[in-house]
Amino acid sequence: MVDEFTQTLLGVMVAIIMLGMGASLTPRDFYLALRRPYGLAIGVVSQYGIMPLLGFLLAMFLAVPETIAIGILIMACMPGGTTSNIFTYFSKGNLALSVLMTVTSTVFGVILIPLILLVYAAALDLEIPREDIIAVLIVLLVPVAIGMTLRKLNPNVGAVMEFLGSILGAFFIVFIAVTWVPQNWQFLLSTSGSTYVAAIGLGVVGITIGYFFATTLKLHPRNARTVALETGIQNGPLAIAIVVFTFPAEQQQAIMAVPALYSLFIVMTSTLVTFVFRRANTAAEQKMPDGLL
Amino acid sequence: MAHPDRPWTAYYGPEVRAQFDAPSYRNLPELIRSVAETYKGGKAFTCCLPNGMNGTLTFTQVDEMSDAFAAYLREVAGLNAGDRVAVQMPNCLSFPVVAFGVFKAGCTLVNVNPLYTADEMAKQFEDAEPHALVIIDMFADKIPAATKGHPIPNVIVTRVAEFLPAMPRGIVGLVQKYWDKSVKSVEVPHIRLPAALDAGRSHIGKDHVEVDAYHQNIGADDVAVLQYTGGTTGVAKGAMLTHGNLIMNMEQAMGMLATNLNKGEEVVLTALPLYHIFAFTVNMLSFYWMGARNILIPNPRPLSNVKRAFENYKITWMSGVNTLFNGLCNEQWFLDSPPKHMKFAGAGGMALQSSVAARWREITGTEVIQGYGLTETSPALTFEPPGKTREGTIGIPLPGTDVACFDEEGKRLPIGETGEIGARGPQIMKGYWKKPDATAEVMIDDWFLTGDIGVMEPDGYVRIVDRKKDMVVVSGFNVYPNEIEDVLAAHPAVVEAAVIGVPDGATGEAVKAFIVTADTGLTAEALRAYCKEHLTSYKVPKRVEFRDELPKSNVGKILRKDLRAEELAQIAAE
Repeated sequence: MVDEFTQTLLGVMVAIIMLGMGASLTPRDFYLALRRPYGLAIGVVSQYGIMPLLGFLLAMFLAVPETIAIGILIMACMPGGTTSNIFTYFSKGNLALSVLMTVTSTVFGVILIPLILLVYAAALDLEIPREDIIAVLIVLLVPVAIGMTLRKLNPNVGAVMEFLGSILGAFFIVFIAVTWVPQNWQFLLSTSGSTYVAAIGLGVVGITIGYFFATTLKLHPRNARTVALETGIQNGPLAIAIVVFTFPAEQQQAIMAVPALYSLFIVMTSTLVTFVFRRANTAAEQKMPDGLL
Repeated sequence: MAHPDRPWTAYYGPEVRAQFDAPSYRNLPELIRSVAETYKGGKAFTCCLPNGMNGTLTFTQVDEMSDAFAAYLREVAGLNAGDRVAVQMPNCLSFPVVAFGVFKAGCTLVNVNPLYTADEMAKQFEDAEPHALVIIDMFADKIPAATKGHPIPNVIVTRVAEFLPAMPRGIVGLVQKYWDKSVKSVEVPHIRLPAALDAGRSHIGKDHVEVDAYHQNIGADDVAVLQYTGGTTGVAKGAMLTHGNLIMNMEQAMGMLATNLNKGEEVVLTALPLYHIFAFTVNMLSFYWMGARNILIPNPRPLSNVKRAFENYKITWMSGVNTLFNGLCNEQWFLDSPPKHMKFAGAGGMALQSSVAARWREITGTEVIQGYGLTETSPALTFEPPGKTREGTIGIPLPGTDVACFDEEGKRLPIGETGEIGARGPQIMKGYWKKPDATAEVMIDDWFLTGDIGVMEPDGYVRIVDRKKDMVVVSGFNVYPNEIEDVLAAHPAVVEAAVIGVPDGATGEAVKAFIVTADTGLTAEALRAYCKEHLTSYKVPKRVEFRDELPKSNVGKILRKDLRAEELAQIAAE
């Protein structure tokens, strides 16, 4: 249940968020990511290996209706969200790594998301509009490219876009809370508990597995915290945009339930995790003697 | 043919002027104006924030705005020539505008470390008696406590994003105010810098005030800057640096360094703070004179804060201290894409470790040349000539500078003998502000004694062997043990305290405190936290050791040198 105005607004917001993501990047970042494939591999495995599998298992074992299952799968297959960068910052994680993981997972997502969605959807016997999803993903790469160009041409415009993008990422949650939640109040009350379990579990379990995955690889604690948050925090706005732009109106309400609830709950989950991480942060930060300023 | 007393002159290139009798400009304002007329609309200063937001002032703009500030100081604030103006801010576009404005008003600039605690500020204000204070909003909350008993009549407040385009300025303002809450409320009557400039401009327009008249009687021998340094006793002393000192040191340094630099084309990274004499003279004055573009970094910590500056600007030169070069060599993003346009870099403030110099050369393919000097010498005395660096030395004396070693009786030693390094030249300060006795202690005729023990090689390269003063140098900042010991001794549980410098991989030297306490429950952490309340962070002891007693001389004086020897012996044993 999304009216045309809200739909347009959603589109604009997601476009600005992607523009901001692009503005945080230079072509050099991609070059460096490719030169150091180990880091890239960790990101791809956690983002497109762990999370979709987790989504698949949740959809399979929670016995949810088909539409909810599609929502879970889509949410699980999304690239990292820009909000992960904010939480990484507050968790004293590696901000550069977070930005890079978010962006590479977004770019690789164009190929990987439809592919993985297709595999898991087939396994669960679900129908998904594959071509439309690819189209939306490609269209959303345009603002990323524009953001990168803007930053190259004018660092001030780039920095402002980057800032607006991250602000809007946070505002998006508020937007969902004040528009979508009241409109769908009845639906939310009647939906089964397992939908909530999936929406919350995706974030909680994702972060947990991501953390153990990173520590198994013996990553520095800072990087392990980053990978954990990056794994669990998905791009909620993108999932919602995909649902809105590719599924028929009558299916939207149910499919959108998990992405919308996920977007709301991940803020709380990540905030709690941030407190835990901050407390655990005993490792030395990169420090310059205070004499330099 | 090199003069026998000055063998190093053989290393000067053919283009290096050997004699420096008089500065090329009458005073700093004349230099500022003349440079602005040459480079006009060229970019002079760019402030680059960690996220890439930036603002730029052209040579013409800096000239016009500093005129306006000079008019404000004289016409509105009512200052006279020679009055002191304290300036307390990190690197930002306001810095050159204000500093140049102070010079043009014929006033004296007093650089104040913005991170000083209110106590530290108070001591400096008490001594310098400034008539005006220009301060960054982030630290303005300290003003009431710092000026208690001796109020400063004019307070001008500025901010980091001053003179940036409206949009980034607004965003930075909002973020600082509501997000990191780093902007404090100003509880004293004050004016904002842009308003002060407008007020100054209106006088230039309305009364046709001639800014040049403010400094027409200011000459090479008049004091331009009071640059504070702790001195051996830890009591803050203001080194009186004249217009002549600064212009000459600029000409000397550039005379030797500028061999492969092009006027109007260089881009200089200024990550070191401008309130420190090294960046003040070398970056702000010398490279401005060269028509270079200065990229000002408000806060280089963490080092990722300078990443965008390296990405967005073709940096050709940078100045730094060992800590900065070492830090950059350990940043992954710097290793991945080292600057491509770098010509060379200058190091000062503390000894450049040869391992760091080698690493830098390997990563960037360019050299770091090391210089040496003190606050009292404006600061540069020696530099390694580009292309002729020599490991473990601080280079050769700058053109127009004599360096020699002196024995304990103050007798000049022949070249090759170890003694206290003395220097003479046009960059030696006029003296310490209001402290003729302290000045007399460091001067033998026209020779200034540095307090460092060194030796000159036969061809003029100088090596530092030891330091005579007990001073500790942390990343280029002087720390005086007396000051730290005073603070420590004031702690109720501390019976005795001694502070020395110990070698430290990251900062060159680190402050170590030895404590005798009556309270066995006192922890090093608690003591450090206590110090943080009273001292700027770099002065806070990095290491604390508890002892039953401290070594003392037979008159009861604590022997820091014994503690130092114990410490070094222990390091050697490990």
